Amino acid sequence: MATTTASLTLSSSDLTSDALSISATSTLYKAGTTIGLDQVTGLTRKVYATAQSNATLISAASYTDDTHNRIYIKNVGTSSTDYFTIELGGSNIVIGRLYGGDWLFIPYEGEQDIDISSSATDMELEYMVIYQA
Amino acid sequence: MATTTASLTISSSDISSDAISISVTETFHKAGTTIGLDQTTGMARKTFAAASSNQNIALQSAYTDDKAHKLFVRNPGTSTTDHITVVIASGHSVIGKLYGGEFLFIPWSGNEDIDVTTSATNMSVEYMIISEA
Repeated sequence: MATTTASLTLSSSDLTSDALSISATSTLYKAGTTIGLDQVTGLTRKVYATAQSNATLISAASYTDDTHNRIYIKNVGTSSTDYFTIELGGSNIVIGRLYGGDWLFIPYEGEQDIDISSSATDMELEYMVIYQA
Repeated sequence: MATTTASLTISSSDISSDAISISVTETFHKAGTTIGLDQTTGMARKTFAAASSNQNIALQSAYTDDKAHKLFVRNPGTSTTDHITVVIASGHSVIGKLYGGEFLFIPWSGNEDIDVTTSATNMSVEYMIISEA
């Protein structure tokens, strides 16, 4: 059984008068178990020479429905103005934007595609899916 | 200008023959700028005595659309079977499930509501939005 962990820290000394310091760690288990996820795409990099609109990044067809997978996506660019829009499902519901250096980490059930749109040419992102059969 | 950062580490020595060791940090900026996000809900915690469907934690009408807000959601419980389902938009499209101790971190454009559904009685959810006007 593989052991994979994810740790997050949020911090700020000046966002409010009470300093922000949040830490969270979890071991990545299969749905409803304490068995570790055992499959991974590897850290994948994609380069988009042209601006994209609703391009499939992660296809639900590649994953078993109602499983407990994890997705990591990062805009590896450095621009503070160019961004990827992260979208969910066939109706492309907008979750949010990743500007240069921004990332997300979410659980993923494998039931809907994750699509992206990009705001400019020559943008790059990295992503990884850690998953179960 | 506030400075708020988020760091994520994903690691595994045995999910593949090439160990995973990803560490990323981002600073929260307002959309399209290098000006720090300056508003937050603080860390909120809600407890649901009964299993509850589609309970709002991020109300899109309270935030400006198409911004670079951030959302952190955590299931502070310890159960490996009870879970919080995080959904988005009026159709309640599922982003994913959070079992005990698990978290997600996303950019949130403020265009769609984020709700949660709990699978059992006496479950809590913690969440925080860091936002811009």
